[in-house]
Amino acid sequence: MNIINKIIVEPVRKSLENILVFLPNILTSFLLFIVGIIVSFLAKVILERFFKAIGLDRFSSSSGFDELLIKGGIKDSLSVLLAKFTGGLIFLIFTLLSMKGLEIVIVEKLIERFLFYLPDLIVACLLLLLGWLLGNFFGRAALIASVNAGIRFSRLIGVFVKYLILIVAVTMALEHVGIGKETIEIAFAVLFSGIVFAVSLAFGLGGKDIAKKYLENKIGGEQKQDQDDIRHL
Amino acid sequence: MMQKNVLSDNVLNKINDIKKADILVGIPSFNNAKTIGHVVRAVQAGLTKYFPERKAVIVNSDGGSTDNTVETVQNAAIEDFDSIFVQHAIKPVFKITTPYHGIPGKGSAFRTIFDIARMLSARACIVVDSDLRSITPEWVELLIKPVLRGSFDFVSPLYLRHKYDGTITNSIIYPLTRALYGKQVRQPIGGDFGFSGDLAEFYLSKDVWDTDVARYGIDIWMTTTAIANNFRVCQSFLGAKIHDAKDPGADLSAMLFQVVGATFDLMEQYSDKWKSIVKSEAVPTFGFKYAVGLEPVSVNIKRMIERFRLGAKELKTIWDKFLPEDVIEYLNIAAKLPENDFVFSNELWVGIIYSFALAAHTRAINKEHLLKALTPLYIGKTASFVKETAESTPEQVEEKIEELSRLFEDKKNILRENW
Repeated sequence: MNIINKIIVEPVRKSLENILVFLPNILTSFLLFIVGIIVSFLAKVILERFFKAIGLDRFSSSSGFDELLIKGGIKDSLSVLLAKFTGGLIFLIFTLLSMKGLEIVIVEKLIERFLFYLPDLIVACLLLLLGWLLGNFFGRAALIASVNAGIRFSRLIGVFVKYLILIVAVTMALEHVGIGKETIEIAFAVLFSGIVFAVSLAFGLGGKDIAKKYLENKIGGEQKQDQDDIRHL
Repeated sequence: MMQKNVLSDNVLNKINDIKKADILVGIPSFNNAKTIGHVVRAVQAGLTKYFPERKAVIVNSDGGSTDNTVETVQNAAIEDFDSIFVQHAIKPVFKITTPYHGIPGKGSAFRTIFDIARMLSARACIVVDSDLRSITPEWVELLIKPVLRGSFDFVSPLYLRHKYDGTITNSIIYPLTRALYGKQVRQPIGGDFGFSGDLAEFYLSKDVWDTDVARYGIDIWMTTTAIANNFRVCQSFLGAKIHDAKDPGADLSAMLFQVVGATFDLMEQYSDKWKSIVKSEAVPTFGFKYAVGLEPVSVNIKRMIERFRLGAKELKTIWDKFLPEDVIEYLNIAAKLPENDFVFSNELWVGIIYSFALAAHTRAINKEHLLKALTPLYIGKTASFVKETAESTPEQVEEKIEELSRLFEDKKNILRENW
């Protein structure tokens, strides 16, 4: 009987005591988490209406900021975007508060470190966002320009430009948050050199005939064999 | 939107000396020393021959030329009036050369011209390009008389052009402008216009001089503004238009972006106006029509179809965002047609242009990307047009353009219902 007490009953009782002591913290945290969801949702809805009411979208449209969003493939208006961001930030703060409410030393330390890290993380996220916007924009611009110039591997050029910008943005973001700083720099240099070498090779092999024809035309006098004389305007 | 302070004291003094003018001729320029002398002499001869009793001023609005354009204008004079059967003018023709200010572009140059016209209370004005080789004294008469004697406010040019010249005008700008605003102005972006002093003042009152209008959209803006604001519009037959060869490497997609973009921008401004217009009507036309020999135009249809096919293959993901499914399907079929059977129907083309206009309105994608993505489609349509009209006379070609324009009008509901 004593053995059963020692092995089963006593640990269970202690656990229950611990749980009872811990229960208010859990409940408080849970409550904070739920309140966070509600407040962030309400804040999002109210702010969206507020931003729309004060004509933020009109300002965004007239200032050309909308263009930037569209260029990056974001269809939300500035009002919606800001409301979503603020709502998300409120939700994040409440989540952190609720976790802190658990009063677990490791969690508290993690949150402390996270908060210390947060500004860098936000900057890194902004860098990624900017990279994504610019990557999409310039990738598409390169694709259209290449097609209009009659280049057969236009899609490749578009994809290359897009991912080059994204890689640069990711590298900068990772460097900013201090993840594998040197490794990333070396990896980027290797990757970038590789891409440039591959593209040079592709251009060299694929375009040798074009280059030959171009040089022949330039040196031997312009031959307007396949030129159009159409005046479009 | 007056710009009182930007004219130099010299120019202001000259304007004060002249005080008032009946006619003002504006010539915008930028490095046109090779051709502008001829333009100024033709204008002087025209003014002397047809309006000897009127007080006239030639205004050269220059964008900072470095090739003696301004000096050429100042020195240009008709040395032998007898050889062109013209007596010296009763009233002298004054000349003003001034740099323009603001955003570099033809629109800013015109703004300065409008401003001087307002200061001189000019009754009739014309603007002519400085790179014209075919301008004659008669152009001055044909562009001014409808304003001075016919009480018209805007005179659009009507040129004789090769059937493959002005394909953006023929396949997009003319049919679209006509369907939208209901006036059959055949060369809405002709560039050489006549207009009344009242209209010049109206142009000046518009707050557009910091926009793309100042850069490159001035021609379609002038025409549309005149029509949409119920000014009296007519056109004059000027004969052939031959101008100095532009940069052969001029980018077609940039041209489309500028011209079609400006037309789409005006659709936003005048949406209430164009929505109510159902049919178009002819505008009064002046001048004696005649045929002239035109330089042959060589076209490489094979290469054009290849460009269209490349676009159909690579830009489909972009077109998918705003072109209707049936249009995309038809484009896929057209891209697979052999060169001999290649055809790009008018129905398809009208659907494409209206879809692009709607996409620009809803801002489906960035405007520059949108309009530059039109290039392969435009090349496909032009290739088809060249094939169809290879053996056609100018009259038959004109009839084809008329057919296309009617279709633009018939299908205008696509725009109205989806705007």
